[in-house]
Amino acid sequence: MPIFRWEQSWNPLRDLEREVDRLVQGVEFSVQGIRMPRQYPAVNIFELAHEYLITAELPGMLAEDLELTIANSVLTLKGHRNPPEIADGEISEERFRRQERTFGEWQRSISIPDRISEEHLSAEFNEGVLKIHLPKLEEEQPRQIPVSSGE
Amino acid sequence: MNRQDSNEERGEMAHPGQYVFTPPIDIYETEAGLVLYADLPGVSVGSLELQVQDNKLTLLGKVEPQIPEGAQPLHQEYEVGNYLRSFILSGEIVHSEIEAKLTNGVLRIFLPKAPKAEPRRIQVNTG
Repeated sequence: MPIFRWEQSWNPLRDLEREVDRLVQGVEFSVQGIRMPRQYPAVNIFELAHEYLITAELPGMLAEDLELTIANSVLTLKGHRNPPEIADGEISEERFRRQERTFGEWQRSISIPDRISEEHLSAEFNEGVLKIHLPKLEEEQPRQIPVSSGE
Repeated sequence: MNRQDSNEERGEMAHPGQYVFTPPIDIYETEAGLVLYADLPGVSVGSLELQVQDNKLTLLGKVEPQIPEGAQPLHQEYEVGNYLRSFILSGEIVHSEIEAKLTNGVLRIFLPKAPKAEPRRIQVNTG
């Protein structure tokens, strides 16, 4: 059985680490601190005693540009966000000093529990935060099924 | 207006145990000045602090989590926290006339340019 000294066996890794450090040095990550969710919009889901609550951050959206639909226990959120040039007249691209915000069409579907009351679903949009309330259906009581004898 | 008028400083004033985010921004130039947009979802007018001091513009947006008590998180993709970002303004911005408006979680700041001084003729007197 071959025996290696512990440090020795790790040397190639350490060299690699040094190489990566050298490459990374001086590189500035421009996306640092900016939230980049994999799916837009990012959503949080909470459960309360009588409802489920879905929240999503959608700054700059207008309530009338938001479309919520529900079908087969899938809730679909859809909308579009206009870039600022539309609000401020024609702005040429070279006039932008910095552009970090994103615009355009987006859509996201979320599976929701079966046991919610679809007709009583409600949503509010304040300060760029969307909240969707999904009220739970009332618990069904077990129903007794009479059994008759075949006599 | 080609000087560095929007150098920001990151990572200062972080409150321990609380999330502080750098909001994404757009800056563009118009004839009258600079227009800055920042996404600040969850920030209300009352909890937004804008400050200009020594050529530094700082925006701090405080977000109060609006989740009812007893809510159990089932799925979480984003954190709720405060927003902080600061910029160095050029000397060409009239600080006293900066305007800001917050709509639907988006802050718009207008930074007016100072009017260019007309060249002034200097009389040279003979001794």
